[in-house]
Amino acid sequence: MFKKKVTLKILLLLIASDILETSIQFFFKKSALAQQGFVVTDFSSAVVFLKAAFASPFLWAGLIAVAAVFIIWSGILSRIDLSVAVPIASFSYILVPLVSIIFLHEKITALRWMGIFFILGGVILVSLSSRERSSEGK
Amino acid sequence: MKEGLLIILSLIALTSLCDTINQLFLKSAVDSLNFSPSFNIIKIFKFIARLLVKPRLWLGFVFSVISLCIWLVVLSKAELNFAFSADSMHYIFIALASRFVLKEKVTSLRWLGTGLIVAGIVLISLS
Repeated sequence: MFKKKVTLKILLLLIASDILETSIQFFFKKSALAQQGFVVTDFSSAVVFLKAAFASPFLWAGLIAVAAVFIIWSGILSRIDLSVAVPIASFSYILVPLVSIIFLHEKITALRWMGIFFILGGVILVSLSSRERSSEGK
Repeated sequence: MKEGLLIILSLIALTSLCDTINQLFLKSAVDSLNFSPSFNIIKIFKFIARLLVKPRLWLGFVFSVISLCIWLVVLSKAELNFAFSADSMHYIFIALASRFVLKEKVTSLRWLGTGLIVAGIVLISLS
């Protein structure tokens, strides 16, 4: 029932989900930065912080992107196997650090890039194993 | 600095745990409906409507809201590139929950992938 062939349409949907996933994280980070200097130390300061974060338009932009990703993924998964979709979608593990460098001026050391590639490799192996399992089952 | 890292990693572990609990509730709600995969749009809408009245689904939703709140606190303390990469920790919890809570068979390839993720998280924490 599930196809393994990635058509242009599915590829575009996957790229869109990568970009949206990255913007979700960017927007959430922006909403957290809205009160720069405020340090959450305990539960009551967390409540104050969260009230302000939820008042930030960035947070709501992020939540709208969450809903959009959900809809796009429903479309992707009805057309293609998870073991094919996830490795392409894991591109956000590279995209988020890149956006962090360019727009948030974060620094990433070589060792951290190495860790990021380990994680990416792990995520791809986990998703490939879903193919192994489904072919074993039937 | 070391202590701060520990707090951030614990908070990320907490969001990952909440995400995993959310997934378990979702999985349990979906399984209870005996839905066979179908691409018939009417069937899918009926399925979603039946899903929305399941208390388990909303219990899961509560956990995803808690997860979001903790995530925002994490982002106020950590760099985005670190937090996002470390959040892959939920793969570890999902693998453990699949094996021990849902009693699913977790293949060696999946354990290998999960191990790579653990190694990656250790590397980014060292940097």
